[in-house]
Amino acid sequence: MEAGKNRSLFNGKPIKVLLAKPGIDGHDRGILVLAKAFRDAGMEVIYVGLLPTPEEVVDTAVNEDVDVIALSLLNGAHMTVFRKVADLLKNRKINDIAVVGGGTIPDTDKPKLEAIGISGNYGPGTPISTIVDHITQRAAEMRKLKAMEE
Amino acid sequence: MEKNDSYWSDRYRKLKDQNHRQNSEFDAWSKKTLDPWNQKTGYQEKEFTNSSNIPVKEVYNSKDIPEDTEKNLLGMPGEYPFTRGIYPNMYRGRLWTMRMFSGFGTPEDTNERLKYLIRHGESGLSIAFDMPTLYGFDCNNPRSDGEIGKCGVNVSSLKDMEVIFDGIDLSKVSTSMTINAPAAILTAMYIAIGKKQGVPLDQLAGTVQADILKEYIAQKEWIYPPEAHLRLIRDMMVYCTENTPKWNYISISGYHIREAGSSAVQELAFTLADGFYYVDMGIKAGLDVDEFAPRLSFFFNSSINFFEEIAKLRAARRIWAKVLREKYGARKDRTLLLRFHTQTSGYSLTWQQPLNNIIRTTIEAMAAVLGGTQSLHTNSYDEAWALPSEEAVKIALRTQQIIAEETGVVDTADPLGGSYYVEWLTNKMEEEAFRYFDQIERMGGILEAVKAGYIQKEIAATSYRRQIRLEEGKEIMVGVNKHAEEGEQPINILRISEEAQKNQLKRLSETKKSRNEQEVRKTLEELEAAMRKEDVNTMPFILKAVEAYATLEEISNVGRKVFGSWKEPVIV
Amino acid sequence: MDELIRGILKGDRRSVSRAISIVENEQVSYNAKKIVKEIFQYTGRAHIVGITGPPGIGKSTMIGNLSAMLSEKGRNVSVVAIDASSPFSGGSLLGNRIRMQESLTRHGVFMRSLANRGLKGGLSRSIWDTVKILDASGSDIIIVETVGAGQADLDVVNLADTVIMVLGPGLGDEIQAIKAGIMEIGTLFVINKMDLPGAFIAQKDIEETLAMSLKKDWNPPVVGVNSLTREGYEELIKEIDRHGEYAKGNSDLTFRKFRTELEITIDEELRSRFHQEIRSFLADSEKIKALMEKKTDPYSAAENLINNIA
Repeated sequence: MEAGKNRSLFNGKPIKVLLAKPGIDGHDRGILVLAKAFRDAGMEVIYVGLLPTPEEVVDTAVNEDVDVIALSLLNGAHMTVFRKVADLLKNRKINDIAVVGGGTIPDTDKPKLEAIGISGNYGPGTPISTIVDHITQRAAEMRKLKAMEE
Repeated sequence: MEKNDSYWSDRYRKLKDQNHRQNSEFDAWSKKTLDPWNQKTGYQEKEFTNSSNIPVKEVYNSKDIPEDTEKNLLGMPGEYPFTRGIYPNMYRGRLWTMRMFSGFGTPEDTNERLKYLIRHGESGLSIAFDMPTLYGFDCNNPRSDGEIGKCGVNVSSLKDMEVIFDGIDLSKVSTSMTINAPAAILTAMYIAIGKKQGVPLDQLAGTVQADILKEYIAQKEWIYPPEAHLRLIRDMMVYCTENTPKWNYISISGYHIREAGSSAVQELAFTLADGFYYVDMGIKAGLDVDEFAPRLSFFFNSSINFFEEIAKLRAARRIWAKVLREKYGARKDRTLLLRFHTQTSGYSLTWQQPLNNIIRTTIEAMAAVLGGTQSLHTNSYDEAWALPSEEAVKIALRTQQIIAEETGVVDTADPLGGSYYVEWLTNKMEEEAFRYFDQIERMGGILEAVKAGYIQKEIAATSYRRQIRLEEGKEIMVGVNKHAEEGEQPINILRISEEAQKNQLKRLSETKKSRNEQEVRKTLEELEAAMRKEDVNTMPFILKAVEAYATLEEISNVGRKVFGSWKEPVIV
Repeated sequence: MDELIRGILKGDRRSVSRAISIVENEQVSYNAKKIVKEIFQYTGRAHIVGITGPPGIGKSTMIGNLSAMLSEKGRNVSVVAIDASSPFSGGSLLGNRIRMQESLTRHGVFMRSLANRGLKGGLSRSIWDTVKILDASGSDIIIVETVGAGQADLDVVNLADTVIMVLGPGLGDEIQAIKAGIMEIGTLFVINKMDLPGAFIAQKDIEETLAMSLKKDWNPPVVGVNSLTREGYEELIKEIDRHGEYAKGNSDLTFRKFRTELEITIDEELRSRFHQEIRSFLADSEKIKALMEKKTDPYSAAENLINNIA
C-alpha cells in the first residue's frame, strides 16, 4: 500500500472514518480488508463490529466526530438501511459528515443513493486505491465545512 | 479438541520429518539442466506459490515423497486411510449427487418451487433462509425491515413452515436446511410438521447445517455466546440420535471459512478442528463415537487453484480417518469415512466478463470430482451479481453432467494418485493442517482460539494479503486486473415486493391472535427453566414451544435472556 | 467558538465531540487552549477512572458492563479508549467499541476513541483536555481505557483519580512481571474471568503480593468479576466509589495531580513555542555538517540554538 501512505492527512490530522455494516449481514471479509487498507493509508478507522443499527452508526459517528461514514452491505438491503442512516443525519441537521456506500448495489440504485447524499457506491472488485481516493476527497470537503464552523 | 494433549504436536513433528526431504537428483538436475536453460531463455519473475502460501518447485519426482507412500499414506480406494476415495468403485458405483441449492422469496413461492422440483423427480429438497430468520428475528422486528425474503425464505413461526411444506409428504422427501444459530428451532418445526402429517419420527430425513463454530470463524451468523449454542447443538445431537435416526444434525462447513478469505490449508485445518470439537462434544455427552460420528458430514469449497484443491480434499480424508482411529478409537470403518459436499467458489467469480465464470466453475468442479466429492453444487455464471437466471443454472448443471458423462475422469478412482506433485502437495497440506491443530491446542482448543479471535485474525490476514497481491498485480484475476475491458456493472438483486413483506407481517399477527397465549407463555417459561439447567435436554421444550406457535424470535429471546448475546472479539 | 463552549457546558454531544477533535488535532493551538481556558473553572467534579491491563483480558467488555450498571444507578458515564497507531502509516484501527457497543447504545453513554498518534508524547495533552471537556459537560464518571503498554498507560496513571488494573487467570508469567513494577500503580485490582480455572489462584497470588508491599493509607482491594454473569460488579462499583471518596479527601493526591498537569503543560508549551525555530535549525544542513565534521558537539549545538532564541 505504498501509494496510499500518509496521504490521508490534512496538516497532520488523520482522516477519521467510521466503517460499518448496518443491517443484518455477517459477511465481513470485504469490510475487514477495507479496515486494514484504510489504516495502511493513514486513516483512523472506527470499526463497530457486526450488526449495528442505523441509530448506533449515527450516534457513533457523532461521538467520534468522524469525517466520513463508510457503509457496506451485501445482503441487498442497502436502499432501506442506507437511507435510514442518511435520514438520521438529516434529522439531526448534520451536514459535515459524508456518507459513502459500497456493496452489491445495482446501477439503477446508484442515482437514488446519490440523491440522498450517499456517494461512491462501489461494487465488488473495485481497487482499494479508488475507494481511498474517494474517501479522501469527501473528507476534504467535510474538513472545509468544519473549518468554517470554527 | 481437548486441551493438553500431545497427540497433535507428535503428529505434526512426524509429518514435518516425513516431508523434509533431501533431493539430490533435483539439485543435480537444477544445476546441470535447469539453471543454464533459465539463463539462456529467461523465466517469469514471479512467486510461484498457491493460496496457502506454499512455494511450488519447478518439478517433482519420487524423492519428494516417502518410499512407503503407497502402503502407508494411500492405500486403495475404499481402504484405510481412504486418501484415494471412500468407496472401492467410486463413481463407477454411483455418480456424485448433483445438488442445486435454491429457495427464495415467500413461503408460498418456496412451496410452489418445492412442488415443481418434486414433480420433476427431485426428492432432495434444499431450503435457504433470509437474514432475519438466520439471526432469530421475526419479520416484525424493526431490524428485519428491508431484509425479509432477500437471501432466502422468511420463517417467523411454525405457520410459515406449514405453508412451505403444504401438500408435501415428509415421508417421501429429504430436506436440507441451511440454518445454523436457530437450527434446533427449525428442526423442531420440521418435526412438528412431520408429527401433524403422522409421519413416524424415524422416517424424517434431512440435514441442518448447525455448524456454529464456523459461524464465529467465518459467516458470523450467531445469536448467543459460543458455549450456549454448542450446548443447544449437543441437545439436538442427543435428541436426534435417539429419535430421528435419518436426520443429519450437523454439516461441518469449510465453505464459508474459505469464502471469508482463508487459504485452502486454513479451510482444511479449521474445518477439521471444528469437526474434532463436535466429536469430543458427542463423546462427552455420552454418545458412542461409532454411533454418532458417521452422521457428521462435511462441506468444502473448491476454488481455482486446481491441484491445491485436489490435494486438500485428499488430505482431508486421510486426516479424518487417521485421527478418528488413532485418537478417538473408532472401531468401524464407516466412522472413518469423511463424506463431503462441495460447492465451487463464489468468491472466484467476477461480474466482469461473466461468461469467464463458466470456465472457472468447470475447473473447480473438475477439482472437486478428482478430489472425490460425494455431492456437488456448481455456481451459476451470473451469481456474482444477480439472482441466478434459469439459463445460467442450467449451464451450471450441464457442466457437472459433461464432466460425469463425457470426460472419462469418472472411469477410474483417484486418477491423480501417484502423481509426484499431487502426493507431495497432499502431504504438505496435511502437515500444514497439523501445524494449525498443534497451535490451536496450545491456545486451549478451537473454542478458546475462536473466542480470542485467533482463527478470525489468521483468515483476515490471508484475505488482506491476497487483496494486496491482487492490487499489486502479483495475483491475477482475468478480466479484473488483467485483460480487463470497459463494461457496465450488471449487478441485479432480488427485489421483494412490498406485498410479500406485508403478507409475512400479516400472517405473523394472525398467528399471534389465534394462538393460546397462556400456552405460549407456559412453554416459554418451561424452556427457560430447561435452558438454565445445563444437564437438561432443551430439545423437547423447544418442540413444545414451537407447537404452541411461539415465534422464532420469542423462542430465541428466551435464550438471549438466559445466555446473553454475543459480540465478536476485536480482530482488526 | 463561544457557541461550542456553551454547547459543552450544556452537555451537547456534538459540541463535546467537536471540541475533543480540536484538542486532539490542534494541540496547543489558539482554539484548543481557548476551550480549556474557558471550561477549566467548571471541571473537577467528575471521578476519573483509568482502566489498564494486558490486551485480550476483557477490558472493553468490563467497561461495557460497568458503564451499563453505573448508568442504571443514574450516573452520567463517559468513556475514552486509547489505542495505538500504526508506526508505519500513522493510521489506526480503533475497535474497542465492539465489545461495549450494546451497553453504550442502551444507556446513551458517550464514548470516544483516541489514537495514540506516534511516540512524541502527542497523546498526553489531548487526554488531559479530553477528560476536562467531558468533566465540564457534566459527566459524573469518566472511564479511560488504555492498551496496557507504553506512554499512554503512564498518562492515565497521572490523570486518573482511580486506576484499575485488570488481570486474568492463566497469566502466570505476566503476573510475575507485573508484580515487579506496575503493581505500584494500581489502586484497585480486578481479576476478570472468575469462571475460568486459575482465576482464584491469581487472585490469591495478587493479594499476597499486595500484602507484602503495604501502602500507608490505601490498601488496594482485589475484586474478582465474571463479565458474562456480572458477578462481582456490584462489589467493584462499591470499591471504585470508595476509592473516589478517598481520593477526593486526599489533598496530597490532588496537589500531585495538578502539579503533574502543570509540568506536562509547560513542556508542551515550550516545545510548541520553539517548534518553528527547532524545525528551521534542523533544516539547515550546515548545522548537521558541522556535527559530522566534528566542528562542534550535539550539546554545544543545542545550547547555541536555545541561547539564541532566548
